Order: sequence, then C-alpha cells, then structure tokens
Amino acid sequence: MIRRRGLWRSLLILLSVLGPGFITASAGNDVGGIATYSQAGALFGYRILWVLVPLAVSLIVVQEMATRMGAVTGKGLASLVRENFGVRVSVFSMLGLFLINTGLTATEFVGIATASEIFHVSRYITVPVAVVLVFLFILRFDNKTVERTFVAFSLIYLSYIVSAVLAHPDWHAVGMGLVRPDLDFRNVGYLVIVVGLIGTTISPYMQFFLQSAVVEKGTDEQELGLARADVVTGSILAIALAGFMIIANGATIFLANEHGANIMPTQASDFAVALRPLAGEFASAVFALGILNAGLFTATVLPLSTSYVICEALGFEAAVDRKFSDAPVFFTLFGIGLIAGAAIVLIPGIPYLQFTIDAQVLQGILLPPELVLMLIIINKRAVMGRYVNSPLANAIGWATVVIIGALSLFYVVKQAIP
Amino acid sequence: MAVAFQEGFVSDLVGRKATINELPIGKVTDFLVNRPDEVFPQVDGLVIKTAQGPRFAPMDSIADVDAHGAVALRSAPKIAAPPAEESLYLVSDLLDKQIVDVDGRKVVRINDIELVNTGGKLRVVAADVGVSGLLRRLGLRSFGKRFTPWIYENVPRTLIAWSSVAPIREMNPSQVTLVKESKLARLHPSELAEIISDLSAREAAAVIHSLDDETAADALEHLDAETQRTIIEDIGTERAADIIEEMDSDDAADLLGELPEEQQSQLLAEMNEYTAGELRELVKYEEDTAGGLMTTDYTWIYPHRTAEQTIRKIREIAPESEFIYYLYVVDKQDRLLGVLTLRALLLAQPEASIERIMEGDIVTVSPETQARDVAATIARYDLLAVPVVDGEGTMLGIVTVDDAIDAIMPENLARELPRITARRHTHRATAAG
Repeated sequence: MIRRRGLWRSLLILLSVLGPGFITASAGNDVGGIATYSQAGALFGYRILWVLVPLAVSLIVVQEMATRMGAVTGKGLASLVRENFGVRVSVFSMLGLFLINTGLTATEFVGIATASEIFHVSRYITVPVAVVLVFLFILRFDNKTVERTFVAFSLIYLSYIVSAVLAHPDWHAVGMGLVRPDLDFRNVGYLVIVVGLIGTTISPYMQFFLQSAVVEKGTDEQELGLARADVVTGSILAIALAGFMIIANGATIFLANEHGANIMPTQASDFAVALRPLAGEFASAVFALGILNAGLFTATVLPLSTSYVICEALGFEAAVDRKFSDAPVFFTLFGIGLIAGAAIVLIPGIPYLQFTIDAQVLQGILLPPELVLMLIIINKRAVMGRYVNSPLANAIGWATVVIIGALSLFYVVKQAIP
Repeated sequence: MAVAFQEGFVSDLVGRKATINELPIGKVTDFLVNRPDEVFPQVDGLVIKTAQGPRFAPMDSIADVDAHGAVALRSAPKIAAPPAEESLYLVSDLLDKQIVDVDGRKVVRINDIELVNTGGKLRVVAADVGVSGLLRRLGLRSFGKRFTPWIYENVPRTLIAWSSVAPIREMNPSQVTLVKESKLARLHPSELAEIISDLSAREAAAVIHSLDDETAADALEHLDAETQRTIIEDIGTERAADIIEEMDSDDAADLLGELPEEQQSQLLAEMNEYTAGELRELVKYEEDTAGGLMTTDYTWIYPHRTAEQTIRKIREIAPESEFIYYLYVVDKQDRLLGVLTLRALLLAQPEASIERIMEGDIVTVSPETQARDVAATIARYDLLAVPVVDGEGTMLGIVTVDDAIDAIMPENLARELPRITARRHTHRATAAG
C-alpha cells in the first residue's frame, strides 16, 4: 500500500494549514526581505513606513484573488495561465519566473555567505556545503523534519519585534511616518527601495505558492469566507513584521547616523546593529543565525517550487521521488536553479547587498505583468462563474498594476538616462 | 469528400482560411467531436469564425481540406455551434488541458492533437505531449529546422495514441457521461492512486467520480489520509458511502476515523446496515493497535461440519472474501475454537470433521495490542494473518501480514533506500505485497 506524498505537497499542506499570512510572512522574510526592510529602515528611517499602508491593501487584494482562483477553479495559477493564454504566454512567463527565482535563490545564498563570513568562515566552503545540505533536505530527510525546521526557522523573526520595542523608538514619529505619504521622485535611492519593498512583499512567486496551497488543501467556494479572513489577518501580520524590521533599523542605524555616526550599510551583516537592543554583543550572532536559517530554507523551497510550477504549466512529470529518467525536465530545472543560484554568489567581488536589493526590485518590475494575467483570468465568467472580481477588487488590482508599473518604468528610465 | 489533407496537427489547422468558391468567409477555430468514446474519434465538424460570429460546418458541407489545412466549403455554414456542454471541442476542451497518459501512467498536458485522414474521415489519433509540440505551438518549428536542424531532429517527439488518453474532467455531470467507461480503470489501483496523488483535490475527485465503485475503492485504499479526506468531501455523501462500502473494512474504518463525527455518521447512515455496524465497531479502535488494523473480512466455519461440506461452503463465499487462506472455526457465539489452513482442508479426508482436523492451539492478539507487537507475532509464527479476539475469546477480526507491515514500516522507508535508482520500484513492490 502506498501512503506517500512528495515533499512539495507536504509543504503545501503545511502552508495551507498555517494560512496565507504565514506564506507571505515567510516569503517576505527571506534574505531579500530582511535586507530590503533593513535597508529601508537604515537609509530612510520612519519616513518610509507609509509605503506599508497601500502595500497592505494591495497585498490583501492580490492574495485574496489568488485564494479565490484556487478555491473556485481547483487549479494552480500556472495551470490557469496555460489553459487561458496558451503555450506562448506560458513559456514566457515561466521563463521569467525561472530567471527571477534563480536570482532569488542566489540572494538566499548571499544570506548563507554573509552569515558564514560573520563567523569567519569562507563562503567558498559554506556555499557548496549548503548546496549539499539542500539536496539532502529534499532527497533524504523525511517531510516531518523539514516541516518542523521550517516552522522553527520562522520564529526567529519575532526577535525583530522585541528588538524594535527595546530600542524605545519615538512612537509619535513612527505614527507620523506611517500616515504621512512622502514620495521623493528626485531621489533614485528612495525609489529603488520603494520598488524593492513592493517586490519583496508581493513577490510574484508567492501568488503561485499561495494558490497551489489553497488547491492542495481542497478549499472550495463554501470555505471562501474563512480563507478570506485568513488572508486579511495574515497580510496584516506580514506587513506588521516588515514594519517592525524597518523600525528596529530606523531606531538604531538611521538614528545613529542622524546623530553624526556614519554607518553606511554596504553589506547585509551591517544590519545586525538593529538587533543590539535585544541581543547586545550577540546581535551579530543572532542576525547571522537568522539569515542563515532563512537562506537555507528558502534556497530549499524556491528551486523546488519553481520546477514544480514550470512542470505544471508545461505538462512535464514532476516528482521528487521519481527516477531522473521519469522526470528529466523537473530534475534538470531544479538542478540548474539551485546550482546556478549558488554559483552566482561565488563570483569573486560580487556586491552582495546591491545584488540582493536589485533582485527585489526586479521582482517589483515583474509583478505588474503577473497581476495583469491574474486580473484577466479572474474576470472571465467561464472560469470563475459568479466569483469574478468585484468592481472594488478590480479597481484596487488595476490601480496596483498601474502604480507599480509606473514606478518601475520611472525607475528603469531613470537608470537608463541618469 | 475528396480531402487532400492527409495528416497534421490541430495547431497547424487552427486559424486556416475557410472559403466558399475560393472566397474567404472566415477562419477555422475549433473541431467538434460527438463520440469521444471511440478509440480514434471522428471529427464531426468544424467551427468557423465568420463575420457573423462562430458558425458550425458539419463534415458533409466540407468540399476539401487541402494539404496545408485550408478548408473549402460547399455552402455557407448557417447554424451556431452546438453548446459546449453537449459536445467535445478539441481546442477549447482539450488543448492545453491535463490528461492522464494511461500507458505511461502519468499526468501530462496536451500540447497538440494529431489528426489523420482515414478514408475521407478526419480522426483524432494522438496527443502530442512533448517538447516538439511546445515548439510547434511557439512557432519555432520552422525556425528550428532552418537554423539548428540537428537539435531539432533530436527534440523528443512524444505522441500518445488516443486510445490511452484519458481526459481529466471537471465535475460537470453532463460532461462526465461523455466518457462511459473510463480508460483509467485499466490501471492497477496503486498506479491509479499514484496518478491521483499528482492531481489537485478537485481533479482527483473528478477522476474518482468517473470510476466504478469497486475501482474507486481500490484506488482510494492506496491514497494517503489527507487526499482521501478531500476526495470524500468533494464527491458527495451518497457516492462516497457507496465507495467506502466497497473498501476493505480496515481501510474504510481508518478513513472514517479521519473524518469529523458529523460527516462520519452521515456516511454510515447511507450504507447498508450490516457494513455500517461493522465499521462503527472498527472506528472505535486506535489506529496503531490490532483493533485499528484488523479487517472483519475473514472466513469463518463451524466445527461440526465435514471437510467436504466446508469446501462446498467456501466455494460459495470465497468470491466475496479477500482472505481465504486461513479458515477460522467459531461456535454460535462467535468464540474462536481453532484455525484451519486452506491447505489442510484440501488435503483432509472428505468426511473428516473440522473439529478433528483444525489446529486448536491458536496464536491470537487482543484489540489493544500495539501494531509493532502484532507484526512481531506474525513474524515469529510465520503467519499470513493473526486473529483478534476480546477477553471472552470472541473473534473480532484478523490482521493480515500486509496490513501489519504497512503499519510498522516507516513512512519514509523509501527515502532511506538508495536514491533515484530504485525508489519507484520499491513503491511497486510494496504495493504488490
């Protein structure tokens, strides 16, 4: 008798039980997320917090759409794209997803490399070791172990909440930063961080993740109410966590700079300062463990989920527990995604932090096309029946597309013509 | 119909011109199949997008399909295309959709569909699920041929004969009836289960829905608890009850045990009283004890009959029973008196009484015995099954050797074995055992 389920499906079930908030929180709190939120807080302090408010609204709307599509159609986003737009659009969007996710995998290895360098171990040792670990994780460990490690990893982010509070931030200034929109178009650095914040919070791959988890759980139309409540609380939680990360960095690095210090974060390890109010002299160690865990886990999940999603769209056999010859495309994509991601980090002299932030910005740039596909599908009555988008969801959805699209375009143009 | 077109792919034909007396009137958009049950179903007509909207052109109104797929019509198509609920359209219902490759035993996506002209009739012969189909759809085929002929020649071309293509349907009742006998029923239940676990919850339910109760029950037995639960929720109480009734009682009880109490009692209410009563008893036991592992599907005989009478009796009931290698001798109060192997029964003198030839010294376990100990008992005495009796010696059921192995074998056993090389075979072997 077979009672089996692949690792990826087990993770999806776990994710669906923990709720979409958990998915977002853990997707946002990968190495790229930590770097981007930290950078935002360190460079701009509380004045960038307001971005989180519209971001929360968009996040809720986008996640609700993915949840509803999964519940109503019983299909993953990759399947829906393929069935509604055919081969061309599928191949191009999957190509995009593969490239950006390989880039993201590289940022996870950046986290691993940074952590190892905090402990004075060369990345040329730790990164290859991490690759081997990831393979072991997927091929040898049983699903329960991986799941438990995953949950345990995520608890580390709570240290940011404690650290932010212990830093005694000026709560009045925090409140003002949250409600007073402050968009500085002349400052390219500011713009980069805004697009990066969007990209890392509403990661394009997250919608694939979330919808697959909903489908795997077997949520249907009747259970939509509950699933929606999950989306709202989960999104707010994820945004709150991001907020605390910004506050913790704002209250330490940004404020210190205001008072004449000159901490210019050039690499992710500089952000360890933000954990000093909590961890004191151990701040670096706690920070290193945090990003090591985040990096290792996301580096495991990202290549795996990416090759699943691509195989789903293009109709290739996908399963970890098959022979290579049974699922050659799946294993090849997984191998390339993982090894290329690791190899990028080993390029001598690669600017870690810059690369990490750039990858988040790229996510932000690629988000509008994905949202357009989602919005078209979710408004098809043949697909969604009476669960097509409401005018309000459409308004927010399209507004998100237009605003993010405009910001990205503006940024790209600014980069091209300095 | 003198059709010049010999063979080709749907993607090549879609978008071709349709003409009347060489005047273009529109473009081919879809192909209608009325009897998808046929081994190689016939195309019954084309959907043509005209200035007046989509129109249906039955095959007999078509004068010619030239070698490139351009269509010449005899008369203008007047009627609207038949509604999607009643017919199967190759492009809108099948292209890009997931199907089960029954021979390859996997879930794949249709990249293209091959049509062949057989004596003037266009027939659907194969689904292209390979890379070459993707390239063709991308419009890269001619590009590939021109610039990288060697690579193009070596792109795997994967065609699945239509006879082993099983579409996974939505749970639309009018569509389900289109496929009368599911090709999926040809698969071994464990393979079917493997395919089902590759599908989403909704699709899995649709596949189970399309099977007969017995096949569905066999497949369900091979699935993990979570998948079972979602499928049962999706296919509705009545059908679910029918299927669970067909399952082995230990598997059925495990499944019921996973469900919320309300749903459990709804399902039991739909079943026949006898099965429901048995299952109610079984559900009470903990999963990893003899009670939770046992099945009530054992063969019992009375002590005072002769060997010959008993053999006759076995012939009557055996087709209904899963396990007949051990015959359990019980009295009228269901107390276990002895056990008789099928071999001993066959070799006995016809007039010998069961009482005399049975083995009275029996190894038993109680319903509370832990799974590990049950397995150890079975192993120590080299048994195929061990009877479960309560404190008064009343026979409750049996635990078979394969159920005992399943219960103690770590879920991740396969993962501990050498990687990639033989894992799939391990599953097969387990499934067979």
